[in-house]
Amino acid sequence: MLYTVVPLEDVLEGIDQEPTPTFELTIGGLLMEVEPQGDFAAKVVRIISSNPQDYLVENCQPGSIVRWT
Amino acid sequence: MSEQPGLPEEEVTLQTIKELGQVELPPTSPGAEVQPYHCLTIIGQIEGHMVLPPRNKTTKYEHVIPQLVAIEQNPKIKGLLVVLNTVGGDIEAGLAIAEMLKTMTTPTVSLVLGGGHSIGAPIAVAADYSVISATATMTIHPIRLSGLVIGVPQTYEYLDKMQDRVIRFIVEHSRVSTDVLRDMMFRTGELVRDVGTVLVGEEAVRVGLIDEVGGVGTALSRLSQLVSQRSIEGPVGGMQ
Repeated sequence: MLYTVVPLEDVLEGIDQEPTPTFELTIGGLLMEVEPQGDFAAKVVRIISSNPQDYLVENCQPGSIVRWT
Repeated sequence: MSEQPGLPEEEVTLQTIKELGQVELPPTSPGAEVQPYHCLTIIGQIEGHMVLPPRNKTTKYEHVIPQLVAIEQNPKIKGLLVVLNTVGGDIEAGLAIAEMLKTMTTPTVSLVLGGGHSIGAPIAVAADYSVISATATMTIHPIRLSGLVIGVPQTYEYLDKMQDRVIRFIVEHSRVSTDVLRDMMFRTGELVRDVGTVLVGEEAVRVGLIDEVGGVGTALSRLSQLVSQRSIEGPVGGMQ
C-alpha cells in the first residue's frame, strides 16, 4: 500500500513493461543480483548476503556499475 | 562448472567472469578508513513489496535495513545522519525503516531537505533529533487508495487501521499530539485538490513534528553532541 503525494498513475507509469532480465554474479566473494550493461559491465540491483557489513561496501551499492577486464 | 549450451551470450560472459574474471574495483578496499559518521539518504519513492517502474527514483528498504544493522553493529561508526528528500512510498517499508532507526543505539539525526512527505514523516521523527531546512516541506495527508470508491465498510476500516499505525508512530516519537496531527491530516482548503496540510520548515517545528530548523551544519553539530553525550553516559539499550 502506497502512502505518497505523487499520484498513483504517475508512480505506476510503465509497470506493464517487461523488467530487464537480471543475473546473479559473485564478485570478490560478494553475491549480487545484477543487470547486464554491455560486455564488461553490470548494474547492481541488490546484494544477497547475510553479512550486514557487505551492504556498506561502497562500490556495490544498488545502481552502481561493476566492471571487469 | 561446464558451459551450458543454449545460454544467451550475456549469460555466458557473466559465467566466464564468475570463473575467470578480474574486477577492476575490488568490493572491499582493505584498510579503508571507516568514517565515524555515516549518511543515509532516503530519496524519491520508498519502495516496498512491489518493484516500481524504472522511472521512479527509489529507496530500497531491503538494502537500507541491513545497512542500518551494519551501522548499529560497527563500533567504529559513532553516529548516523539520515537525509530525507522523499515523496513517500510503501507504508510497511517506511514504517520498517522508521522502527529500525528508532531502536538503534547509535545516535541518529534526521535532516529533511526539500521534502519529507507522507511516509517520510514517521522516518523523520524516528531519529533521536530531527532538523528541517527552512524551505523544506512536509505534507501530512490521509492514506487512501486513489481512484477507488470505498463502498465496503471493511475497506474503510482497513485504511483507518493503516492510518492509525502511522499516526501512533508519529505521536509517540515527536511532540505533536494525536488531535493536532489528525486535524492537519484531514484539513480541507489547504491543498488544492486534496485533504491535508503542507508544513514548511518553521511550521513543522511549531506544531512539534520536528525539533529544529537548520541545515547540514546544525544536523551534524547535534549529532556530535549526541555522540559525546552517549560516550559519557555509556551505551544505552535501544529496546525501550
